[in-house]
Amino acid sequence: MAEEWRFRSASGASIALRRRQHSASCRELAVRGPRLQLHSLSAATSAVWLAAYGLFALSENSMVLSAAIFITLIGLIIYLHFVKIDQESLLVIGSLGIQVTSSYASGKENTTFIEMGQVKDVVINEAIHMQKVIYYLCILLQDPEDPQGVSEVVPLFQSSKPRLDCLIEVYKSCQEILEQRKTAPQSS
Amino acid sequence: ENSPAPLPERAIYGFALFLGSWFGFILYLIWAYIPETWLFSLGLTYWPQKYWAVALPVYLLVAVGIGYILLFGINMMSTAPLDSTHTITDNFAKKQQQKKFQEEAIPALRDIPISEVNRMFFLPEK
Repeated sequence: MAEEWRFRSASGASIALRRRQHSASCRELAVRGPRLQLHSLSAATSAVWLAAYGLFALSENSMVLSAAIFITLIGLIIYLHFVKIDQESLLVIGSLGIQVTSSYASGKENTTFIEMGQVKDVVINEAIHMQKVIYYLCILLQDPEDPQGVSEVVPLFQSSKPRLDCLIEVYKSCQEILEQRKTAPQSS
Repeated sequence: ENSPAPLPERAIYGFALFLGSWFGFILYLIWAYIPETWLFSLGLTYWPQKYWAVALPVYLLVAVGIGYILLFGINMMSTAPLDSTHTITDNFAKKQQQKKFQEEAIPALRDIPISEVNRMFFLPEK
């Protein structure tokens, strides 16, 4: 059972939130950012090649042109493989843990799994980021010595940066599953 | 004891500083503009190089400009990153004591944990 909503990111880009309920205690929430647009790609390529042609006209060195082509190709591959994140997803399994996946435009996927014993809570936190105050969802990890303490904060959806309305949807979905921990305590 | 009121001593300090700064400025102008030979003929020979009459103001202005950028950068560096626990709590909040709840009294001021705040804001009460 899948639902999809459209939201905006902190910078104004359009993002989509998809929620799938696999079972009563398992939910998957995925935030998709905008794909790489053809017009921005061709604008960047044309700018680099025009600058290279200008340099070639000034210096009469044809290596500039081949270097520009090389740089464009390598830059595009690095961008798609290391920078451009298409989709970030959160898979919450009630008794097991939380899995965070980032999928890059080149197809690479980064996955992190946090087991439920370590998860204290999933909260919406506000912090200062680059001269702005943003809301972001984060997982609070339990401190083994101190039951009330937080040992680590894991921020989620770092590259798509959804706004508060999207975060509230994700927060409510996660809390519905996390509340089941208290009502049905398992022996650990 | 620390009031900013005008006192006679402060007036005297102010006037002394005023005269001193005018004297320093006139001295700087003399050093920068009057040719060395004229100063030597008066017997005043021990001056720094005139190069510094231009270099020091330039150093000062560049330092002020870099200071703006440096302050901005230091601010950005001291801001806690998004994955640090300092965005959620700090030493005072961890060590705070729980006061007993009294009926009919305003509850004591305390740092409320972020999970509670989130539940209150974002989960509608049924």
